Amino acid sequence: MNGVSCESLDGAALVRLAGEVDLSWSQEVRRTILDALRGAAAVGVELSAVSYIDSSGIAALVEGFQTARVQGRRFVLVGASPPVRAVLELARLDRVFVLVEDASGLCG
Amino acid sequence: MNMAPVRQSGAFPAGGTEARTLAFLADLSEALAVSLDLRQTLAGAVTRIADYMQVEAASLFLLDPERGGLECRLCVGPVDLTGLHLAVGQGVVGRAVAENATQIVVDAETDPRVNRRVDAETGFVTRSILCTPLGTAHGPIGALEVINRRDGQPFAAGDAEILRLLAAPAALAINNARMARELIEQQRLRREFDLARRLQKALLPKRRRDGFPLLGVNVSAHEISGDFYDYFDLADGRIGFVIGDVSGKGLDAALLMTRAASLLRWAGRDGLAPAEWLRRVNEELCQTTHDGRFVCALVGYYARATGHVCLAGAGFPPALHYRGGDVTELPAHGPPLGIVAGMEFGGHDFDLAGGSLYAFSDGVTDVRSGDSRLGASGVRALIARHAGIAPEPRLRALIVELKRLALVDDTTLLLLEEPRAHAAEELLRLDFAADAGRLREMRAALRDVLDRIGIEPVLRDQLVLAVDEAAANVIRHAYAGAPGDIALAVRRDAGMLEFELADTAPCVDPARLKPRDLDECRPGGLGLCLIDAVMDDWRLLPAPGGCGNVLRLRKRCPRLTEEEE
Repeated sequence: MNGVSCESLDGAALVRLAGEVDLSWSQEVRRTILDALRGAAAVGVELSAVSYIDSSGIAALVEGFQTARVQGRRFVLVGASPPVRAVLELARLDRVFVLVEDASGLCG
Repeated sequence: MNMAPVRQSGAFPAGGTEARTLAFLADLSEALAVSLDLRQTLAGAVTRIADYMQVEAASLFLLDPERGGLECRLCVGPVDLTGLHLAVGQGVVGRAVAENATQIVVDAETDPRVNRRVDAETGFVTRSILCTPLGTAHGPIGALEVINRRDGQPFAAGDAEILRLLAAPAALAINNARMARELIEQQRLRREFDLARRLQKALLPKRRRDGFPLLGVNVSAHEISGDFYDYFDLADGRIGFVIGDVSGKGLDAALLMTRAASLLRWAGRDGLAPAEWLRRVNEELCQTTHDGRFVCALVGYYARATGHVCLAGAGFPPALHYRGGDVTELPAHGPPLGIVAGMEFGGHDFDLAGGSLYAFSDGVTDVRSGDSRLGASGVRALIARHAGIAPEPRLRALIVELKRLALVDDTTLLLLEEPRAHAAEELLRLDFAADAGRLREMRAALRDVLDRIGIEPVLRDQLVLAVDEAAANVIRHAYAGAPGDIALAVRRDAGMLEFELADTAPCVDPARLKPRDLDECRPGGLGLCLIDAVMDDWRLLPAPGGCGNVLRLRKRCPRLTEEEE
């Protein structure tokens, strides 16, 4: 099922996404990511349970990435699932984002 | 090393101990087993057996699988019997093989089994004979014979026992050598067949994909097929075509096929009328083909500009002209090529008229379905059933069906047909509200249909993404939040997949749709980039009737039509 949640881990925030991220709720994803960036030095977006993501979902990630860069914060994608990786590659964004395997790399 | 204790035994009264016999047997077996030149080793073995058994003469007879009977292959002693031929059952040797049992002749002068001809011719005096068959799992392959003990005594049961022991390794070695020879022969044959098959494949013309109107398919159940086809361009713009079938199978047929194919091509290049074309090839073939083989062929020309076809057949099954559901049979008027010189061949002239010409080497009209002929109506139904699909999958589908009916296992088809746009097949039609909440079910339906037609998962997911992006754009930009509907249609046309999204929103100016540069990293405008990256092309058109837009996305998936290539 679709879902987005945010949890704090010693100064960092982990946004967990699940389900099919598409136009119907990508604004909610966007807001959650931007909110997380306000309170944490590092934000990770956990994507292992995402089975589909469209360009509006990717756009939310891009916006988070750019906001973090402007503010000097760390922004990483955690455990991107194969469908997410496929779309990132198609959009040639796989080398723009920092991709890590799990949340332990969030602060590194 | 401890030797086995020597045990005297009544079974070996011929002057040797059991240990001596076993040592000799071991020696002999080893010599035969490691032999690289079996003939020479056997010759040595027969000499040693004669010495060991203290006999005046010894000989080895083998069954001759080609001539039948037994032939003396090796001989030791004062009389050379090499090459002597005996019938199985004839004489002592023939009887040993026929009965697969050792024969002991104590007194040759009175024994009715003995053939005294050799003695009479040579002056040799045969007193006593011992002969044992060379046994294998599949029966005897010959016999080993010894004559006259040097001590003048007749052969006894103990001698028979020893000879039987000595014959065993010889039989084994000869049998192994024969099997090895057969294996080598089989491998040689397989190599020859393989070469012939590759030669034949090389003779078939390359498939032409540039909208060329001829297509040939050869399906062979055998390693070597006698079928062939050919097509070539003439200087005057016409296209020549040939399909043929050589009688018989195997290497001889393959060689005749290569010759016939070259001759037919050579004669067809001159642009002769088809009947004259066949006549000329027939004369050539009759001069050189005398072994009862012959060639059935159909040759013709097609003029693309006018649609005119002329063809002639030589013993070939009727060609079928299929047009708008009707089938016309075009039978051959001449006999097969290569039988009688001086034959005339009649032909057919007709207008292809947008139809299709089928030539089947196996004569589908003649073939039987169970007890009933498939017949012209059966063929018509068969062709009609597959008429809607592209030429190559159609030919393959026809062959699959003919095979299923057990009508052919080896056939060649040649199809003459102008390429045409085949009716697209609609795979999916889905109407849904222009609401982002409905996209999920649209994607699921799309995934299902793409799975059903065998699109591999990576491409499937990309296609789903691209169509989803297109629909999201319609929702966001065309309707811009206003309510409305989207009609999605997915079609397959030969190897092309087409996705169409129709809306009833105000017309969108296609010039406004411009994908951004992918190297630029910003959140918006990504959807069109993804569509561009996935699809071969897409276009936005005003809907017929002036209200709404139609977005067409296309992707070529060649595997859809050429699964078997």
